[in-house]
Amino acid sequence: MDYVPHSQIPGHKSRQTGAVSLKGIKKQFNFKDRELKVLSEFSLDVQPGEFVSIVGPSGCGKSTLLRLIAGLDDTYDGTITLDGQRVAGTSLERGLVFQDHRLFPWMTLEDNIGLALTNRNIPKDAKAKLVADHIALVGLKGFEKAFPHQLSGGMAQRAAIARSLVNEPKVLLLDEPFGALDALTRVHLQTELQRIWLAQGSTMIMITHDVEEALYLGDRVVVMQANPGRITHTVDVNLPHPRDRASPVLHKLKDEILAELTHVPEPSNPVVRLIKGDDQ
Amino acid sequence: MKPDHLNLPPRLRGGRTAKRWEGQTLPASAPSVADKPRHLPRKQGRRISWKPILSIGSPLLLLIVWQAVTAFKLFPPEVLVSPTAVIAAFGEVITTGELQRHLSESLTRLAGGFTIGASLGLLFGLALALSKTVERLFGPTFQALRQVPVLAFIPMLILLLGIDEVFKIVIIAKAAFFPVALAAYDSVKGVPKSYFEVSSLYRAPWWVLISKILIPATVPNILAGVRLSLTRAWLVLVAAELIVADSGLGQMMEMGRQMFRLDIVMVGVIVAGVIGFALDRLFQLLQAHALRWKTA
Repeated sequence: MDYVPHSQIPGHKSRQTGAVSLKGIKKQFNFKDRELKVLSEFSLDVQPGEFVSIVGPSGCGKSTLLRLIAGLDDTYDGTITLDGQRVAGTSLERGLVFQDHRLFPWMTLEDNIGLALTNRNIPKDAKAKLVADHIALVGLKGFEKAFPHQLSGGMAQRAAIARSLVNEPKVLLLDEPFGALDALTRVHLQTELQRIWLAQGSTMIMITHDVEEALYLGDRVVVMQANPGRITHTVDVNLPHPRDRASPVLHKLKDEILAELTHVPEPSNPVVRLIKGDDQ
Repeated sequence: MKPDHLNLPPRLRGGRTAKRWEGQTLPASAPSVADKPRHLPRKQGRRISWKPILSIGSPLLLLIVWQAVTAFKLFPPEVLVSPTAVIAAFGEVITTGELQRHLSESLTRLAGGFTIGASLGLLFGLALALSKTVERLFGPTFQALRQVPVLAFIPMLILLLGIDEVFKIVIIAKAAFFPVALAAYDSVKGVPKSYFEVSSLYRAPWWVLISKILIPATVPNILAGVRLSLTRAWLVLVAAELIVADSGLGQMMEMGRQMFRLDIVMVGVIVAGVIGFALDRLFQLLQAHALRWKTA
């Protein structure tokens, strides 16, 4: 099958903005008196409008990475740039969807989405239109006045996606967005996210545990390993969007990535190496 | 006791499942949700509800026992007056205007002391929660002082302030201060970090953070503290008036006791209870109003 860049797919708004560049990111947490290296020399370049999936085991620093790009945490070494501009603090140009929907329980759906627009200096009716458009985009029309507790998990997560897109960010960061949903809803929302991405065209960086999900959505899948978090492998998925889940290419790539993720690497710990007798 | 929300009609009951909104149909792309509003079997609705009868049962029983004890003269009538005598005394203090005068004195005092104490408590609690310096400076003192019963301060306060109005206001304000301060401190400390993160992601201005996020997140718990402080202020007020006052409900009872009018003392006891109950209920309604999104 020939690779068709998504920017050539009809209906996809091609973008010139939204290039994310990470260079030599180092991040550590100080846990009591021990230093815990979370990320070590992490570098990655994401093209405008590209969908990059990041998979890796728990504790490999995936979520930390997204928090750094989002600007929720500024204590790291290295540089993160968006379209050449160094990232500092949070910005409406960078959206973030968490694993939990994080809607405020006392606000209706439209108020929750409207909250994301409080820092925008645009007229009230323009705001209302943006909110309505994005509610329609995620297929929640008719639920504007619903409170989060009246929505199912999948619907609440759609609402969270609408909220993160309402400012039309250059890049949308997704931190295991469907991790807490049941399998059926997850498959449904993956298809929806693909549709939304094709319609919206912003750069997407998605963290996931689910290799199938990573391959189905990503133009590129970045495989990470833990201790310290680093990239071990990058897989280009040269398939046009929207994709067919049953594609043999996806299945072959999935087997490859799973094999790598479940492979036990040679211990780098000298003590273990000594026990195994490798040094002799 | 069953939670109240179980008695609501299905449409008003909050639940995990989404409901169809009246007059609107679901968009084709929406995830599957229940199509029909759910109807519960309405069997129980037809039967006579015993709940209101149960709740007036205990005061009624108390009244019957009281009447019986006095009718059989188990205690001398000067010591334990009969309910009928109390009803008569009620009529007496109302017609002379004595009850209204004392009650309005008490309620004015309560309003003044409570407003001062609760406002200061709110401000102090917020400052304690938001500033590390304030917490270091006043935290331990606050935690220790709130363990001391209000009544223990009365002798000292009488010496310092005399027995005038100021003394009573201070006593009530002290009683109202601590529950509100504690509730404000706890609820601000308890605001999840994720709320601040979401607010920061969307670069919400500080007044939006306060008005749309922090206030709705903390008000329910602060109101619970205010409710506790109001009823506590009322208890302390009546007690303080019993000890030193020239007017007020407690003073009316004290005068009754000195003149062996135990029927008037009983009137005071009943009025104090009913007023306390009413104040508490009023706040309960206010709390329910602040949390109405839960049952929407």
